[in-house]
Formats: sequence, C-alpha cells, structure tokens
Amino acid sequence: MKKKIKSTLSREKLVPDLSREKISSTLSKENLSSVLTKIPMKQKIFAALSTIPFIALGSMSTSCATTCPYGMVNDPYPGQCPRYMDVGGDGFCDFSQTTPTTTTDTSTTDPSTSDTTTSTDDTTTSTTTDQGQGNGANAEVTPDQSTDTNTTTLPDDPGSDYGSLNGEGTNYYVLPVTLIIIGGYLFTYYLFKKGILKRNKHKRIWNLLLTVGYLGTGITGVILTFMVNLGIRTALNQSITFWHVEMAILMVVGTFIHLHINWKPFKNIFRVLFGFKFNSRRDPTKAKGTSK
Amino acid sequence: MVYDMILPAIPFIGGYLLTYSLYRLKLIRKAVHINIWNLIIGLAFLISAGAGFVLLLIMEFNVKLPISPELLYWHVELGITLALVTVFHFHTYWKSAKTMLVAAKRRRSEA
Repeated sequence: MKKKIKSTLSREKLVPDLSREKISSTLSKENLSSVLTKIPMKQKIFAALSTIPFIALGSMSTSCATTCPYGMVNDPYPGQCPRYMDVGGDGFCDFSQTTPTTTTDTSTTDPSTSDTTTSTDDTTTSTTTDQGQGNGANAEVTPDQSTDTNTTTLPDDPGSDYGSLNGEGTNYYVLPVTLIIIGGYLFTYYLFKKGILKRNKHKRIWNLLLTVGYLGTGITGVILTFMVNLGIRTALNQSITFWHVEMAILMVVGTFIHLHINWKPFKNIFRVLFGFKFNSRRDPTKAKGTSK
Repeated sequence: MVYDMILPAIPFIGGYLLTYSLYRLKLIRKAVHINIWNLIIGLAFLISAGAGFVLLLIMEFNVKLPISPELLYWHVELGITLALVTVFHFHTYWKSAKTMLVAAKRRRSEA
C-alpha cells in the first residue's frame, strides 16, 4: 500500500525528488555567489546596518564607580550625579569621600553578643551591625544624624525617581540609543532612496527629532544650572540629569544627521567665510537622488 | 560652583544684533551673516558636546581627571551659548522651521 502511494505521488510530482546531489548542487558555491552578486551592494550594506538596533538592544550593560567622576569632595544628598550612594548614611556621597563613613552601633549594653541583622521591605532597607563593644562611640554623632545613624533609607520606589534606570540610577544608554537613532536614520534614508518617503518628509522627520533633542537638552540643562546655582537639591536632580544625557545623545547624533542632510550648506560655511574651494565635479551616477 | 548665565550670553546677543544690522544695512551679504552664525553654532556644539561626551566617558569608565570640574564648568557655559545660538539659528531659518512645524499643505489651505 505504502509503495503504491509513493509511486503515485512521485508520478504526479507532488513530492519533489530531494536527492542529496540535487540539494548540494542547488546550494553549491557558484549558485550562492551568483545569487549574492545579484543583490546590489548598497542593499547589502543597508541590510547589514539595519541589524544595528538589535545589536544595540543586546549591548545594554552596567558599570560601577569607586570615586567621584566629577572630582567632588563631600557631595551632599541627593548628589551631583545619578551615581549617588550613601551606604554609611552620613548624608554625603560615598564616592566623594576619601574614606566613606560606615556606621556601626557600638552602644549596646550586652558585650557578649554579636549579631548582624538585615531587613528589607518595599520601601526601606536597613542594615544594622551590632558588635557589642559598648565603648560609647555614638557620643560623637552630630545632632542631625543622631536619630538613627544605623539606618540607610533609600528613596521610595527608586525606579520612579530615576526615570527608566531600572532602579539603579547609574546607567546611561549611550551606545544603544546612538545605534537605534542611526538605525532609524538609515531606515528612513533607505525609504527615501527607494522613493517611498518624500525628501521633504525625510528632512522634516529628522529636523523634528533634532528640535526635540535640542529642546530636551536645553530645558533640562537650564533647570540643572538653576538648581546648582540656587542650591536646590531634590530627588528629581538625578532623573533630570539622566534625561539631559539621553536627550543630548539624540541632539548630538541628530546634529551629525542634520549635517549629512544639509551637507552643501555646511560646505558653504567654509567656502563663503574662508574661500575654500571644493571639487564640484561629481560622479553623475552618484548625483542621482541624493538628499544633500 | 556657580555658573554665569547672563555674562556669556551678552557678547553673542550683541554679535548677532551687529551682523544682523550690517546685513539689513546691506553692508555684508546675507550669506556671510548666516555662515558666521552657522560656524559659531558649530563651534559651540563641538566644544559643549565634546566636553559633555568626555564627562560622560569619565563617569562611565570611572576615570578621575584633575580637569573634570573645569570641563564641567565649560560644558555648562558653552551649553548656555549653544542654547542661545540655537534660537538665532531658528530665527535665520524661520521659513524652514515653520515648514517643519506646520505641514506645507496645511499652511496653503489656511492661506
């Protein structure tokens, strides 16, 4: 019965004859190379570059600091940058101190016991180390810190305070954001070259994004400057700094894109002001359909 | 550290008014006026963004440089200049800016 079905199918050519020789001949080097050479070079480059956003998404990483990157000394809460950390609970960023203060409760009455307790809940994290020395070290604590020097309280729900920092407050997504913007530009440029997107729309999209970048960076920058000048320190400082950096990435990459789109006026700056002469002869094949 | 916000802006406001009046009085060509300010915005961008980028790298890779506070200071000062010159840039290219904000078709229908 089986043989009958098989012979019928092969006679009717419903099942292709997938012999090993046929497959290997189809996938032979000559065939593949001929197929690849048929694809235009530009299309290959764009296909390769369109993978950038995916690489970018996979390259998000974290890093840690041990000293103040701004070289500040005794930076008070909430700190100059999102790396603010106060494990010791002395009100100053540990990175800005040469030797961060650690608070150890030594005022217990029972010298025989030594226990370490760590408790964590949704809103606060407190670490208490009890060494049972009883030497009265707490007498040196300043009045501001005398309430509870053993407790380090982190802001409620760090995630909301640091924007999309995943609660760590230390990440700037420089490379991923840059690559996503470049990928986006290559995509719209490809659409424009293919005639799907009009030149004006292509320009308008990137001019709008550049404006958003400049406005975002400018507004957050001015707010931060005012905050520093007036000595305003809020928990929002870190998230404003974060968005300042992210918007600045959009602004910087957007400016380079703006230069690419307006390459001719950019060259004119040097021609008009300094009398530079550029080679105006262009390859006629390249002149077709450029956005410059 | 206190940042000056008015002082660095004054020479640029004065400079823009000067070149703009010279252009309006037809003492210089429009291209010269535009290109001077394009060059200034380019330089302000290069210095401010460059300093910002170096600061970012310093922070990401945890490198401590003795010039960090100075770099931060000039990043802020040139950033203020950049924001101001961006307003001038919008003024220079106001027609293109309007096209960007309001679609050409809509403007034509409104007219």
